[in-house]
Amino acid sequence: MRIVIGQGSCGIAAGAEKVRSALLKQNISAPISITGCIGMCYLEPIVDIYDDDKLVRLVKVSESDAPAIADYIRTGDREKISALIVTDEDSEFLSKQTRIALRNCGIINPEKIEEYIAKDGYTALRSCLTEKTPEEVIDVIKTSGLAGRGGAGFPTWFKWNAARQSEGEEKYLICNADEGDPGAFMDRAVIESDPHNLIEGMLIGAYAIGAKHAVVYVRAEYPLAIKRLKNALEQAREKGIIGNNIFGTDFSCDFMIKAGAGAFVCGEETALIESLEGHRGMPRLKPPFPAQSGFWRKPSNINNVETFANVAWIINNGGEAFAAMGTEGSKGTKVFAVTGKVKRSGLVEIPMGKTLRDVIFDIGGGMKTDKPFKAVQMGGPSGGCIPADLIDTVIDYKALGATGAIMGSGGMVVMDESTCMVGMAKFFLDFTAKESCGKCIHCRIGTKRMLEMLERITKGEGKEGDIELLEELCYSIKDGALCGLGQTAPNPVLTTIKYFRDEYEAHIKDKKCPAGECSDLIEYTINADKCRGCTLCARNCPVNAITGAVKQPHVIDTDKCIKCGKCYSVCRFDAVIKA
Amino acid sequence: MINLTINGKAIQAPEGSTILEAARANGIDIPTLCYDKAVEIYGACGLCVVEAEGIPKLLRSCSAKCTEGMVVNTESDRVVQSRKIAMELLMSAHDGDCVAPCQLNCPARTDCQGYVGLIANGEYDAALKLIKNKIPLPASIGRVCPHPCEKACRRKNVEEPINIAQLKAFAANIDLDKDDSYLPECQESSGKKVAIIGGGPAGLTAAYYLTIMGHEVTVYDMMEKMGGMLRYGIPQYRLPKEVLDKEIAIIEKAGVKLVNNVKLGKDFTIESLKAENDAVIVAVGAWKSSSMRTPGEDLEGVYGGIDFLRAVIKGNPPEIGERVAICGGGNTAMDACRTAVRLGAKEVYVIYRRTRNEMPADKLEIDEAEEEGVIYKFLTNPISFNGEDGKLKSVTLQIMELGEPDASGRRKPVPVEGKTEEIALDSVILAIGQKLVQGDVSELKLNERGNIEADPDFFTTSIDGVFAIGDATNRGASIAIEAIGEADRCAKAVDAYLNGQKLDTRVPYISKRDESTIDYSDRKEQSRINPKVLPADVRNKNFDEVSLGFTEEEAQAEASRCLECGCREYYKCKLLNVAQRYDIDPSRFKGEIPQKYTHDENAFIERNTSKCILCGLCVRSCREVMDIHAIGLMGRGFKTDVSPAFSLPLDQTKCNNCGLCVQLCPTGSLTEKANLKKQVPLDEQYTEEFVDINGTQASVLVSRYNGKVLRVIPNDEVSRNANLSREELQAKLQ
Repeated sequence: MRIVIGQGSCGIAAGAEKVRSALLKQNISAPISITGCIGMCYLEPIVDIYDDDKLVRLVKVSESDAPAIADYIRTGDREKISALIVTDEDSEFLSKQTRIALRNCGIINPEKIEEYIAKDGYTALRSCLTEKTPEEVIDVIKTSGLAGRGGAGFPTWFKWNAARQSEGEEKYLICNADEGDPGAFMDRAVIESDPHNLIEGMLIGAYAIGAKHAVVYVRAEYPLAIKRLKNALEQAREKGIIGNNIFGTDFSCDFMIKAGAGAFVCGEETALIESLEGHRGMPRLKPPFPAQSGFWRKPSNINNVETFANVAWIINNGGEAFAAMGTEGSKGTKVFAVTGKVKRSGLVEIPMGKTLRDVIFDIGGGMKTDKPFKAVQMGGPSGGCIPADLIDTVIDYKALGATGAIMGSGGMVVMDESTCMVGMAKFFLDFTAKESCGKCIHCRIGTKRMLEMLERITKGEGKEGDIELLEELCYSIKDGALCGLGQTAPNPVLTTIKYFRDEYEAHIKDKKCPAGECSDLIEYTINADKCRGCTLCARNCPVNAITGAVKQPHVIDTDKCIKCGKCYSVCRFDAVIKA
Repeated sequence: MINLTINGKAIQAPEGSTILEAARANGIDIPTLCYDKAVEIYGACGLCVVEAEGIPKLLRSCSAKCTEGMVVNTESDRVVQSRKIAMELLMSAHDGDCVAPCQLNCPARTDCQGYVGLIANGEYDAALKLIKNKIPLPASIGRVCPHPCEKACRRKNVEEPINIAQLKAFAANIDLDKDDSYLPECQESSGKKVAIIGGGPAGLTAAYYLTIMGHEVTVYDMMEKMGGMLRYGIPQYRLPKEVLDKEIAIIEKAGVKLVNNVKLGKDFTIESLKAENDAVIVAVGAWKSSSMRTPGEDLEGVYGGIDFLRAVIKGNPPEIGERVAICGGGNTAMDACRTAVRLGAKEVYVIYRRTRNEMPADKLEIDEAEEEGVIYKFLTNPISFNGEDGKLKSVTLQIMELGEPDASGRRKPVPVEGKTEEIALDSVILAIGQKLVQGDVSELKLNERGNIEADPDFFTTSIDGVFAIGDATNRGASIAIEAIGEADRCAKAVDAYLNGQKLDTRVPYISKRDESTIDYSDRKEQSRINPKVLPADVRNKNFDEVSLGFTEEEAQAEASRCLECGCREYYKCKLLNVAQRYDIDPSRFKGEIPQKYTHDENAFIERNTSKCILCGLCVRSCREVMDIHAIGLMGRGFKTDVSPAFSLPLDQTKCNNCGLCVQLCPTGSLTEKANLKKQVPLDEQYTEEFVDINGTQASVLVSRYNGKVLRVIPNDEVSRNANLSREELQAKLQ
């Protein structure tokens, strides 16, 4: 038997490290090792116990469970750990997925190259270097239909080919690991859980375009990812997989890690290059495109982590196998980071062509509370929301684009009826306005003005014509902004107006927030018929706004009330009314 | 060469050229704010966007290359909308005044800040010329104007407004005292004739400017002398007629023909003048005193305000006796009461139904009249003038109190039931307004107020080719500067008419700061200086001019108090130029202003971040051209700003004062100090000259104003890298 503890950032945040120490203290004979993100983030910390091929998965494990686990290892008696064993229902979260990019995540030890190699690691690279010309590699990728997973969905082979065709001895292959979307964490998971998969994909890409230098631009907020990537690079270097004359061929490639200082806009490829060169992260004008003039003005190719994570699999299994999954225009699988009001949150990788319902209800298990599903925000702040009645939309670049949202990098924030859509748009606008680099007028001032309008509306200060003005501004920013950040910033506003215009109107005309989320537009009162005078609300009120004698109906002084909602949540008789 | 089409025009462009280069080479202007050939393409402003057939996105023409067969539209609706919104957003965050509030509040748009600033520098001739661009009678107007400019002056928020009107009189006096007073250059004769009826401030102003424009102008006036109400409505002690005479003489010398003692309706008609001229301007004024409709107004001893003043000025004052009351609270009432004092009346009352605070008259006038012995009867209203044998004996006054504010915002006077007062009087002067004598202009259509109906923009009347301005039109009598402003605009409208065109009356957009956000705490208090006046007990016995005018020292000190609200880069602001090209309304996007006004300067360069539009030209030129890196971009998003490294003051950076950043700054965020004690926004002209720097002929830009070198700015690599101070550069000028 052997014990494997999920130690991605998610697991560590939930207490996996403490569980590991506690288990180590138990002097168990079975070896204890780690793995990356298993994917079921909502169940962390997770302890997997392998008995040959049989797996017993324990979830939501705490330090105090260590003796029981030790007991099980020694005796095989499952009784004491039965409450920890993952349910069949929860197991479906993984079993219903099709994992390519994440194929090794949560299975192998990311800190040991041998475990990667044992999973056919670096065979794809070897076959490329020894059996295929760069053009043939590009052909396989072309056949696979792989498209950029960072958001834009541009065909990967096309970019590789453009960089390959670009003149110049010195070329760069860059991996964009600046995953900045709030709610997206698939890139982090890949680097933390399977760094060699990324390195192998990048080396294949470097070979294809003719680059001798590979750069990973990873955000500094991912220290564990950086640590594991560094470790992986060292191990690969020791094995001669990176450096000069890889696998004894003419191909040489060096690696560099650049920790980005944390700006969303640096996920935009030209801003990323500026930052790499040591400048302020601001996008450059295109053309020239990076394939012609990129890092140090040399031909450069930039792909996202998840894109590279598919490459080795495609080489090993053939482009056709990848293309066999998905739809006409979108091939292979896509990883989604599912969060929000959904029952099961975590990383979900499924073939293109499935529906949003498959992800949110079938795999995600539906809503966490009894409130009905309202909408899902796709693609983070650059994306848009898709309402409940479009839940059967197919996962496909075109189909998602038609709704006004985007595939994006795969962030999926699930919302129920308690989410105010104006507030949601405001949240994302607040993010993009702050993350605007400040270069172009439309983005720098336009997003700020949109945010100010949304703030006014949620405060009940909206006026007739605000929606139209917002729309006018949105379209103008989409048209006029310099880079993708600005051009997509209006999407959350445009889609919420498109699908939830009545909510905007309620805020503006009736000064009401239908979801009851905008504190300036709600009022708490007590229904005297239901109130039993238990005094619980009065005792919990932080500003003493509630008065009343014991066993007598209580009253909220609305002038004093700060609308914290505490009374509403503590009342056991549904006597507090939020309206 | 590449063949393409821009705005329907077939164009050839060299291989590799951008759409912007191709367009500009062919005379098609595309606006830009962040583009300059000196630095790399940046793409921030997004104003250069164009639409190309077959390309779904708008293209930034500064970077997009021409391709064979390309069809480009630089002014499509989508392009214009994108530029318009960009400018609206930009201006919504631009915290600056293009022109000062004093100028904006002057009905004639006189460049007050300009001439005040020039006076502070001792540049009196230049100040006078600037004034005469808008006012041909500055010595007179400086003395009599109720100065709306001063009401808008922001110095009032520190202590008191600048004494703008008296400064104007000061500069004008100097010019009048010279043998060669300033005469404008007139344009070549147009061969067109214009007749103007009425030689008051409106008529004379229109005549002066139309003459400068090359037209032959004759002014017809019914009185013995020109000047209208300036002469016959304003007492000698306020405006000595010798001053007015001199100013009118200059107008005559400029080429205006003056004809007196001829009256409309008697000696000629509008139609008869029209037959002999290409255009006629009616500026007959309002010469009839208004009635109060109080019983007893027909008694002997009751006079109209302007009738009374005119009679005194003409040398035959009426018998007013010893006890005189003046009804009204405006400047005519002040003129009448102070004149009555000077005529020897023992008790002079001013009857006004509100209080001192609501009086429309100038505060100084109110105070000076009181010093001269005038007695104010506030909160009283005449209900009857009582007489015996047809002669006035007394007035019965209703006592009033202030009630709720009325539409004008002033508290409305309401009678106190049953409370009255009677004052024995020898005469009463009704100074409550004046009206047009309608019979004189019977040929023209009048409005419901009984004034000539004139188009407010084009000044046209019911007869083609006949224009009307001043007190006789629309809303009736107002102040002289109002008439002068109308006359100036009317002259332009008539000039356009004579050239077969129509004047463009659109008011171009300008940027204004939100008054409520301005902080004055860094300003040191400095009291307003008023010119010395004759002592009250001397002046109340004669008609000598009360004000002694500014001494040079006083004038310079007073002018130096100016806060310099208007932007010094106004005349060459690219930002404003682009803003005015599009019909923009930045108030749609009113919101937070990103940068607070921060002032930073070194010996030559001043920085004001609140006007910065983040085009990056300063940062980029400092880095790319000069390799100095004295300034950089700081912060993110809306809070991005340009700042010296570590937010240090500019003079603690490596800045070598090359001035390139100032030259490239498209707005007033960076300015180069002029060779002046007090900085002034001026319409400067730059010429390229060459100076010897270590044996090399180096290019510099030189700005001269009124003969004086205001700036010398390095203009090539040699002069920029010479590290010479501006004084040293100037000394090298031939």
